[in-house]
Amino acid sequence: MASTGKAVRPRVAVAKFASCDGCQLTLLDLEDKLLEIVTRFDIVEFPEATSRHSPGPYDVVFVEGSISAPEHLDQIKALRKQARVLVTIGACATAGGIQAMRNWADHDAYRAAIYEHPEWVESLAMATAVSDHVKVDAELRGCPIDGGQLLELLTSVLVGRRPQIREEVVCRECKRKGIVCIVVASGEACMGPVTSSGCNALCPTYGRGCYGCFGPRIGANAKSWSAGLMRSGRPPEEVWRLFAGFTGYAEPFRSVLTELGKAKG
Amino acid sequence: MITNPVPNPAAVARQWFLAHSDLDDLIQALRKAGRIVIGPTVRDGAIVNDEIQSAADLPAGVRDEQTAGRYRLAERSDERVFGYTVGPTPWKRFTFPPILPIATAHVSGSFGFEQPKIVAPQLAFLGVRACEIAALGMQDRVFLGSPFTDEDFRARRKAALIVAVQCTTCSSTCFCSSMGTGPEVRGGYDILLTEIDEGFVVQAGSPAGAAIVAHLPTRRPTHAETGAAVDVVEAVRTQIGEPLPIAGIDQRLKRQLDNPRWSVVAERCVECGNCTMSCPTCFCTSVTERSDMEGRTSVTERQWDSCFDVNFARVAGGDFRARPRDRYRQWLTHKFSTWMDQFGSFGCVGCGRCITWCPVQIDVREELQAIAPVIQPIERPVAVEPVAASPGRYSLARLASVKEETEDTTTLSLTDLDPAFLGGRPGQFVMVALPAFPAVPISISRFRSNGNDLTIRAVGPTSTALVNLHPGAKVGVRGPLGTFWPIEDAYGRHAVVVAGGVGLSPLHGLVEALVANRDRFESVSLYYGSRTPEDQLFRDDLVAWSAGKSIDVAVTVDRAGPEWKGRVGVVTTLFDMMSCDCSRITAFVVGPERMMQASVQSLISKGVPPERINVSMERHMECGIGLCGHCQTGPYFVCKDGPVFRLSELGDLYVREGI
Repeated sequence: MASTGKAVRPRVAVAKFASCDGCQLTLLDLEDKLLEIVTRFDIVEFPEATSRHSPGPYDVVFVEGSISAPEHLDQIKALRKQARVLVTIGACATAGGIQAMRNWADHDAYRAAIYEHPEWVESLAMATAVSDHVKVDAELRGCPIDGGQLLELLTSVLVGRRPQIREEVVCRECKRKGIVCIVVASGEACMGPVTSSGCNALCPTYGRGCYGCFGPRIGANAKSWSAGLMRSGRPPEEVWRLFAGFTGYAEPFRSVLTELGKAKG
Repeated sequence: MITNPVPNPAAVARQWFLAHSDLDDLIQALRKAGRIVIGPTVRDGAIVNDEIQSAADLPAGVRDEQTAGRYRLAERSDERVFGYTVGPTPWKRFTFPPILPIATAHVSGSFGFEQPKIVAPQLAFLGVRACEIAALGMQDRVFLGSPFTDEDFRARRKAALIVAVQCTTCSSTCFCSSMGTGPEVRGGYDILLTEIDEGFVVQAGSPAGAAIVAHLPTRRPTHAETGAAVDVVEAVRTQIGEPLPIAGIDQRLKRQLDNPRWSVVAERCVECGNCTMSCPTCFCTSVTERSDMEGRTSVTERQWDSCFDVNFARVAGGDFRARPRDRYRQWLTHKFSTWMDQFGSFGCVGCGRCITWCPVQIDVREELQAIAPVIQPIERPVAVEPVAASPGRYSLARLASVKEETEDTTTLSLTDLDPAFLGGRPGQFVMVALPAFPAVPISISRFRSNGNDLTIRAVGPTSTALVNLHPGAKVGVRGPLGTFWPIEDAYGRHAVVVAGGVGLSPLHGLVEALVANRDRFESVSLYYGSRTPEDQLFRDDLVAWSAGKSIDVAVTVDRAGPEWKGRVGVVTTLFDMMSCDCSRITAFVVGPERMMQASVQSLISKGVPPERINVSMERHMECGIGLCGHCQTGPYFVCKDGPVFRLSELGDLYVREGI
């Protein structure tokens, strides 16, 4: 079908660094759209779906995972050279992910505690976001990313417009849905007020506090919110865990964690 | 013969009684009339407004507890169904949907934009409170009050039947009484229910409402029942009180655009926008485009947005409200000031949702009172009941002695005074009169055991006549009048007296009191400026105070001959001698207006709190007791509310010309 379309299909690659592959799965989970996507895009690299390889250059590269091992440093630079548009996907690629919790810890001690032969494991002391190493053209946040946002990004590439991805606060989506605020009505710990939207307030919809997996929104007043969480009786250790979870190495969460680290002494 | 017209049942405030057990009949009557009933129901720990099927869905026996940043449900001791206040759901949700497709575009060959057909479901809102009716009215003015209208809103609003409910309880966050929107429902409803112990007193406010009520198993209410329905709402009004002084707030806010408090509240505000989302009047939106992958069909969706969003005022080149304090100020000034300019009312109904649903507990009432406080005279104790305190009456006193202080200033020592004068306090004044001369206000410069001293500069006919009197002469006096120096405000602190020229006169008695009670103060300093060395008042006392070492005396003059070895310059140049923690200063300032302005500004910039700066104001006074009106300054009669004020009481009146 659509053989004329195939001639101009953008070449798409999916690459992964330190990650769980969950964001790649989000693409595969767009089941009823998959046929249309492969009709319009030539997916030439996709480790979660195929062992086929195809050299660059690529029109769009989706990058999953944080820069966490020594070989990643060169790989991401090489990938950037092959990519017309580089899009990072998920909390690991955009903020360092949960593995960035080691950035506040003793890396060698961690490695020694987990692996029988730590000397066989080559990893960097810090897990960092892709944007710390190369220029990134667009980000899809979340752990995992939102399928709707991914589809919108692909659509915007085809239509040639700016992706209609609103960067707002989780609370906004929560209130539009008519969810009763779990902070005010139940005293839940929720990262919603400082976290970027995109998930359609998934966790609060199910009565759980937001985990902050989409990361700090623009202008997030993380300082006031950490103070607010402590004012409601939470010890600094608990607030530290809330901010550190998925995107703690992204500012301004990182500053709050540094500050809380000092407070813990 | 005049016959009474037959009243139209729908047009008059006729009342019915509906038993609690028959409330479901109302809901079913609304449903039978083809309406979806939206009413209160418990979900996720709150009483939300949502579709209900029967009276069983209502929150019987449930109440809400609301404070800033906290909402909890609790059990009532009875089975009332409307025994709560307002929940998280504003009714705008149903007249102004959070997400609404407003246009679609199709591309095939050429293209076109289409507006979706407006579909407004027939709804009945059950349990609408007075503040919420007011909010619907405010959105009417926003969406329908100009030539450019929101037709989707119009259709939804028209399709909604309002079953209002009188509030029979209130929350700590309620302030409808201040905003003038409640608690009584006075109009804007189709049916009105007032819940009392046995059931509901029912009124119809429209033919549509009356038609529904006609289907209900009602009876005529007893006098006791209608009386109870009135009392219960009256009790709520009393319970709410007046939590926010609102008069003139729109104008007061306009003068406070640079108030530092905007930054303070912005540090706390997390800009989640929950206040604007839960506000029943906020109307701001943004649009988003959704399209298929080829862009052949696209939908424009309108969504509730918030002025707290960081992108809300952004343009390609930057952001017009880039700082959080800009955004907080936009919201608050819109609600309480500029909304008035745009739509003729406040944009706030006092429902308190923005307070309850703020996760960092910001209380808009506190912010308003901190940013744009009402300047209210502070009640001060009367030092002593004044003598002859009515116009034209005077008590006589005898001049014991006369002392020339300077070329134009003389101290008169009065004796044979009514004992009340001896009980006066430093800072107070007397009205002094001579036959054929108008009375003038004169500060008491010294309190003696047997009389008062008045230090008078000859500037007009009466003062000139007074300074030319000889011992033994009689004068008419009324007083002591006005407020006095709050010397207690300086206990345990650094007492700083700042005097300019003849301004030392009303401060002289204060300095004597400070010296006499020296142990009560951390330190006592006097800064005194006069035009020339010859213009200094109380020179003997200045020397004695200086020599006594218990207080620090610093003097300066504007100009002097070569024999003057002291400082030259205005009095504020002496302030560099202040070495103490200025936040612990209590200051007392009198002098010419410009000297006081400069001194006050200097003290504030050094960190002296405005409520610890006391000034004595000079104004035209004829009666001295608040009857003649000459001395009015803002809300004050300087003669009886002053002359001594704390700077914090005066606010921006103090440094303003022409007041």
